[in-house]
Amino acid sequence: MFAAVTSIALVGVEPRPVRVEVHVGGGKQAFHLVGLPDTAVREAKERVRSAVISSGYRFPSRRLTVNLAPAEIPKAGSAYDLPIALGVLAACGAVPPGVTEVVALGELALDGTLRQARGGLGAGIVAAQVGLPCLLPHASAAEAALVGGADVRAVRSLPHAVATSLGEDPGDMPPVPAAESTVPAVDLGQVRGQAVARRALEVAAAGGHHLLFVGPPGAGKTMLARCLAGILPLLTRQDALEVAQAWAAAGRPRPSPSVPPFRSPHHSATPAAIVGGGSGVPIPGELTLAHHGVLFLDELGEFPPHLLNALRQPIEEGRVHIARKGVSVTFPCSTQVTAASNPCPCGYAGDRLIVCRCSPRAIDRYRQRLSGPLLDRFDMQVAVPRLDADELAGAGGERSDRVRLRVMAARRLQNERGSLNRTLGRERLDQMEWGEGAHALLRSAVDRLGLSGRGWDRVRRVACTIADLDGSRQITADHMAEALTFRAGT
Amino acid sequence: MSRPARLRLAFCGLHPLRTSRLIAEYGTAEGVLDAIARRRIEVPEAARQAAARKPGRCRQILDRLGVMPVWRGDPGYPEHLDGVPDAPDVLFVRGSLPLVPGVAIVGTRRCTRYGLGLAHAYGRACAEAGWPVVSGLARGIDGEAHRGIVSGGGIGVAVLGSGPDVVYPAQNRDLFSDLIAGGGAAVTEYPPGTPPEGWRFPPRNRIISGLAAAVVVVEAAEVGGALITAGLALEQGRPVFAVPGDVERETSRGCNLLVRDGAVPVLDPDDLIEALSLVASLELPRPSRVPGAQNRHPLLEHLGPSGASLEELAGVLGVAVPEVLAQVGRLELAGLLRRRGGLVLPL
Repeated sequence: MFAAVTSIALVGVEPRPVRVEVHVGGGKQAFHLVGLPDTAVREAKERVRSAVISSGYRFPSRRLTVNLAPAEIPKAGSAYDLPIALGVLAACGAVPPGVTEVVALGELALDGTLRQARGGLGAGIVAAQVGLPCLLPHASAAEAALVGGADVRAVRSLPHAVATSLGEDPGDMPPVPAAESTVPAVDLGQVRGQAVARRALEVAAAGGHHLLFVGPPGAGKTMLARCLAGILPLLTRQDALEVAQAWAAAGRPRPSPSVPPFRSPHHSATPAAIVGGGSGVPIPGELTLAHHGVLFLDELGEFPPHLLNALRQPIEEGRVHIARKGVSVTFPCSTQVTAASNPCPCGYAGDRLIVCRCSPRAIDRYRQRLSGPLLDRFDMQVAVPRLDADELAGAGGERSDRVRLRVMAARRLQNERGSLNRTLGRERLDQMEWGEGAHALLRSAVDRLGLSGRGWDRVRRVACTIADLDGSRQITADHMAEALTFRAGT
Repeated sequence: MSRPARLRLAFCGLHPLRTSRLIAEYGTAEGVLDAIARRRIEVPEAARQAAARKPGRCRQILDRLGVMPVWRGDPGYPEHLDGVPDAPDVLFVRGSLPLVPGVAIVGTRRCTRYGLGLAHAYGRACAEAGWPVVSGLARGIDGEAHRGIVSGGGIGVAVLGSGPDVVYPAQNRDLFSDLIAGGGAAVTEYPPGTPPEGWRFPPRNRIISGLAAAVVVVEAAEVGGALITAGLALEQGRPVFAVPGDVERETSRGCNLLVRDGAVPVLDPDDLIEALSLVASLELPRPSRVPGAQNRHPLLEHLGPSGASLEELAGVLGVAVPEVLAQVGRLELAGLLRRRGGLVLPL
């Protein structure tokens, strides 16, 4: 009187197989659910009982024990309804034991129909690993179909799931996601003027560098930053899967899996929403949703300093550890940070026509708020001036898809070297082919401009990218000089 | 009047105008000290103790701090200050006080970046033309003018509103030592240990204008120390220059009022130096560091005084943006231009 169905639990963004074991034995009628379930899982008892009865089966009137193994992984959400129901039916002999030979996931409605549940992608990954068919509600099946080698079948209800797992019904084909739109929301072709900011965007996209735009309100910082996603190369299959996994862990489907994500959290967001966390099982934050994509922090000065502090280490490391009592998870967050900031509280410092009305002390205070936590983590900083009337009336610039071709060529050179320029370590940088005078320029920058040790490597990384865009193996003094004009903290 | 008595009276740290009134009333410093000792004059307890100090004690304090007293009437006392009514009887000097008159560059503490940039540029221009610069070491315009003269390798004089051993504001401590190391001086009429009390600053402004051949007000509101200095300068017969600004900007209103009332408007640093040469044809010691004639880079030719944006430079030079960026990067490193925001500015 025992049955076990495979399901999954997410540890961080990583799916792990979970065995849903059901035992029906003598004793008084009871329904016990063990194995570190959270409240939503515990409520499965009521949903499963009603769904089983509504679907025309008899619910066993004996002692029923459900164990979610391994017990040390916390389980969350309503997705265990379907495997529990299949296990109950198999354990009490209402259906043949063959129904358990699946990876199942889904929330049951009281009438026995299936609802979308979090983790469809993970179920696909586990199903491919263990070689079983994967039963999922329609809405979750699409993301699981991303996984190569998984036999994903969409099912509508508990009876449909039983029939499908027994091979009596082929199951529905997973819905095909709508054709991907790779047209960016904002195209660089719409951006007028701003030749220097455009160049900075191209360099940042090519090397994955963290970029800070500084300029007065209305100069177009936000628009420029939004263009970044459109000039990044499309994600590789592996990267796209990682991104989809991260999104699935947050319970969000990815509408266009191969487009790099662009996340733009508001400055009032909580640390948990940005870094990850939440009560119970930690959920990825915006930082992880922007994995292999762009995290855009608009109005950087408005973000509370403790939040910017919390971003520092994850940005540098490319992953974020969240330790909780009993569970510690790691979310990937290899993300390119882009930010926009006013130069001063009124926004017009450095403008030629509008006079800044801030006192220098106010400007210093404003900059100190940023500089302590985050400013020195940016690889590049570029000023975005307000456009004059001629420029506003002028023609737009080069279109995003043209720029993306150059970015992709530069990325190919980096792929040959094995890593994105953003992540080049000091040793790898030392091994690059430096042209005559390049390092001499850098040394004079330390003397004259007070470049820091951290800034030293950042400038070198940007110089590598500029050389890549140039198609040059050697990094010349000119490449270095240009990289220096983009240095942060100016 | 004996020197020890004059020194002890200076050590009382009374309001300068009160000190001169008391001397007029009692005839000599000794008379005033005697009146203080007999409690015929109401003074703070600290001043009473200072008045009763042993004569050698005051010298000891000054020697320990490395402060030189400069007496009115002595050859070391600047002649142009001596001619000012109510000039201090003794000046406490750290560093070396230039004997030629300087240029006072003053302005508000609550200034704008615009004002700061001008103060720096004027300070530097004066340094290069050989004029000493006198100012008040305050936050804002005063301090920046001092920084300008330090960066130009010239002589700067800071007139303090506190004792010679008290640097106020503390953030200008490095600037204070740079001024003295650069051959300039910090001077005050207040004795060592005097805290920077608000009422001590207006009277010190007569020393700022007194040490100067001309006063330049860079940025000032309608009310404030800079306009007090300008008023004192007019009383002392010094020409007043003012930098005009936005008519609506509060921190330029003082300057604009001065211009309306007849102050000489000044524009860029060269304009100031030219105007100054009309004020006084002095034999000024030139600083050793005069920037040599550089081979001008074509990019530098296109920088007006207010600079150009990187985009404009790319346009006028007819080269691609990456190349302009590389050129600007090199020139910045060579110290031939500076950048502020998206603007490229001449030095």
